[in-house]
Parts: sequence; C-alpha cells; structure tokens
Amino acid sequence: MNDPTSLRCLMLGGCLLVLATTTGCSRWIEMAAPNAAEERAVETIARAEQVPLILDRVRISRNGSPQNASSETEQRILGSLADIGLFSHLASATTSVESGEKIVRARLLFDEAIDPHAGATALKGIVIGASMYLLTPFLPLEYEYAAHLTLQLERWDGQIKQYESQSAGTARYHLFGATPIMIDELRGHVMETCLTELARQIVKDTTFFSASSAPMTESAIRTVSAKSRSPLKTPPMPSAIPVAAPAPTEP
Amino acid sequence: MTRPLLAALITFLGVFFSSTCRADEVVPRLTVGTQEIGLLAGYLLPHRLTDKSTTKQSGPAFMPSWAMVLTDPAGPRWLRGQLMFGAEIVYIQFQEPVLTHGVGFAPKIKWLFEGTGRLRPYVEFAGGPFYTDLAGQIPEESSRFNFVLSAGGGLSWYVTSQLALNVGYRFLHISNAGTRYPNLGLNSSLPFGGFSFNF
Repeated sequence: MNDPTSLRCLMLGGCLLVLATTTGCSRWIEMAAPNAAEERAVETIARAEQVPLILDRVRISRNGSPQNASSETEQRILGSLADIGLFSHLASATTSVESGEKIVRARLLFDEAIDPHAGATALKGIVIGASMYLLTPFLPLEYEYAAHLTLQLERWDGQIKQYESQSAGTARYHLFGATPIMIDELRGHVMETCLTELARQIVKDTTFFSASSAPMTESAIRTVSAKSRSPLKTPPMPSAIPVAAPAPTEP
Repeated sequence: MTRPLLAALITFLGVFFSSTCRADEVVPRLTVGTQEIGLLAGYLLPHRLTDKSTTKQSGPAFMPSWAMVLTDPAGPRWLRGQLMFGAEIVYIQFQEPVLTHGVGFAPKIKWLFEGTGRLRPYVEFAGGPFYTDLAGQIPEESSRFNFVLSAGGGLSWYVTSQLALNVGYRFLHISNAGTRYPNLGLNSSLPFGGFSFNF
C-alpha cells in the first residue's frame, strides 16, 4: 500500500520540480503600446526624383546623460531610412557632397531611459536566496526600457521637418530566465517600433523630399568667397628687373 | 601541508601577475543576465573567540559557485557597482582536530565594484545549510546539521573579458542556530584564490 503512495508522491514532486524549473526560467517582453503598423512604410518614387540623404549628427543620451554614438546605432538608423525608398542613397556626415547637389540632411536625437528596478531586484534576490530558491517561480523581476527619437530632416532649400516617435517596453523574467540576450531583444523591439513610426511619418511627406519639389536656392549653394589679400605692413622690397639695354653701336 | 599550499600560492600569483603584462586593454562586459561560474579554493584558519572555544579546526576548502548579474552599474562614485546573486557549494575537509568533512549549500549576494574596469573589487555574503561529521567530536558543536555563514571581500582581475582570477578573504561561521546545545560555533578565517568565467 505504501509503494503506490510513495510513487505518486515521487511523481507529484517530480512534476512540481519540472514546473518550478520551467516557470523559473521563463521570460517575456511587454511593449507599452502595441505596434499599430507592423510593417515598415515603404514609398517608391521615380529614380530621378530621389535625392541623397546625409546623416549629419546622431546624439545619444541615456537617462539624461550624453553617450558616445555607436556605429551600430548609426547603421541601423541609416538602414531603416534606406528601407523607406525615398532617398537615392544614404551616407554619414563624413561623405563629401558635390556643391550644388540637392541633398537632405538628417539630425537625430536618441534619448534612452532605462529603469532596471535595481532596489526591487536586490530585495527579491535576497528573498529568493533566503527561500533557497523555492520562491524563484513566484517572484518575477523587471527591466524597463524606453526610447524617444527626434529626427530633423533639412531639405536642400533650408526647410526643416521634424519627426518624433517614442516607445517603451518591459522585460519580465524569473531569476533563471535572465540573459543578456533578453535585454538586447527588448532594446531591439523598442528601437524597431520607434523607427517604424518615424518611417511612417516620413512617408507621409514623400512629395516634400522629391527632387522636383523645390528648386535649389541661392542660399543653399555652398560657395567659397574670396577677396584680395590685404597689403602687408612693411612695403615689399622692390624687385630688380633686369633690363637688357642694347649695346651702343660703333658709328 | 604548508609546502603544497605555498607552491599553489606562488603558481597562482605567477599566473596573476604574468597576465598583467598583456598590453591590450580588457574590459569585461557584464550586463543584466550575465552568468558567472567559478571555483575558489582556500585554507581554513581557526579563531577562538570565546574562552570556551578550544578547537583549532583547519583544512582546505573548495567552493564551486554560480552567480548572475542582477543590475546595471548603479551607485555613487567609488561605491558604483553591480549586484550579483548566486549560490555556491562549500566543501571543507577538516584536517584538524580530526580528519572529517563538511559540505554545504549557500545562496550568496555579491556587490561587484566598477573598480578600474579590469580590476574589480567585491564584497559578498553567503549563508546556507551545512552538514559536517565533525560535530559531536568537538565541544563547540553537538549536531551534524549546521548553518554556514560567510562574509568577506576580494579582487577580480579580468585576464580576458570573460575570465577572471580572484583572491580574497572570508570570515566563516559554522553553528546550528540553537537547534541543539551546546552551540558555541566554529569561527574561521578563509583566505582564498580561484577563477571565474562569465558568459
């Protein structure tokens, strides 16, 4: 009679252990607002109407403090803008531009806000430790990430359009489910939502960025002004000009 | 016993300082969720803190461990660091006063200071159940089921962005939390060295 009972208890204990371990390893990402436009907005215009886009400046700040702009971020933004199909080609600020060429200049401000809930995480960690990890499946941990993108596009005639997008998400995980990939995934989702929203806004202004939308203005042409050099304070030494006088001829 | 220990210490220091000669700068990238496994080894030295304590327990200790980074760098100035949480198995071979053994499991919490990037100090606390057959053979302990508590600090030197060498010191206390008397407890110093690997 005891054997079946022991077997049942053993099986129940095993199931509970598997359930606890599985739950303790779980993680998921919650976005603050569902992404309305799942796919990137794409607008194809005639090749002749496309103008190049130069990414002039990328400024990144995290929780209010300035950060170094990474080439990865720059590449991702350029890739996102390239996907729209409005611009002939995209380049960073270091690319040289021919004088008189119609171009769109872009300036991006990327503001990140991270809240790892360090205090709550530490407290839950202590509680989990004190319970010898038995409370792991019941105490989820959180990591919040939000991004705010501001993109300024300056047309060749000096007109500026500003676009903004923001998104936020939370990674909820149990202790054994935490990995660095989880945070990268969260950032990736938030960034993607922001870029998709920006693309959607830019596509609405397709005609504004087509080459025939505005002529080149004088002010937009980059010219080099030159003037004569001011005279030196000390008069230059007169240069001796050799004059070849014809030799007197004998009468 | 001191000769092999000295040899091990010299070997460890040799590896430790030869790694400092590398010209390339190594900065460990520890983010939330980064896991760490490690192995520490040390030698237990006795402390008799009361007049009733008579046992001079000593012997090697081995501590395989696992930990995880729970937070991004936080805190002001020199206190700035990251919180790690994990657990370790504590194995002690008591060579004195009687050849006996002890094994325990201790969840631990660790504050890893930012330090200089490559050299990162830390403080840690661990505590958990500990079973030893030394109990009953000494006047300080009467039950085999005990608890081990340890607190201390150390230095982690990152040889690569993932591999670190560690040295440190812990104060170790073993007692049965009053579940049986007498319960004077054993107090020890535990200088240790080892390595850890992040992934």
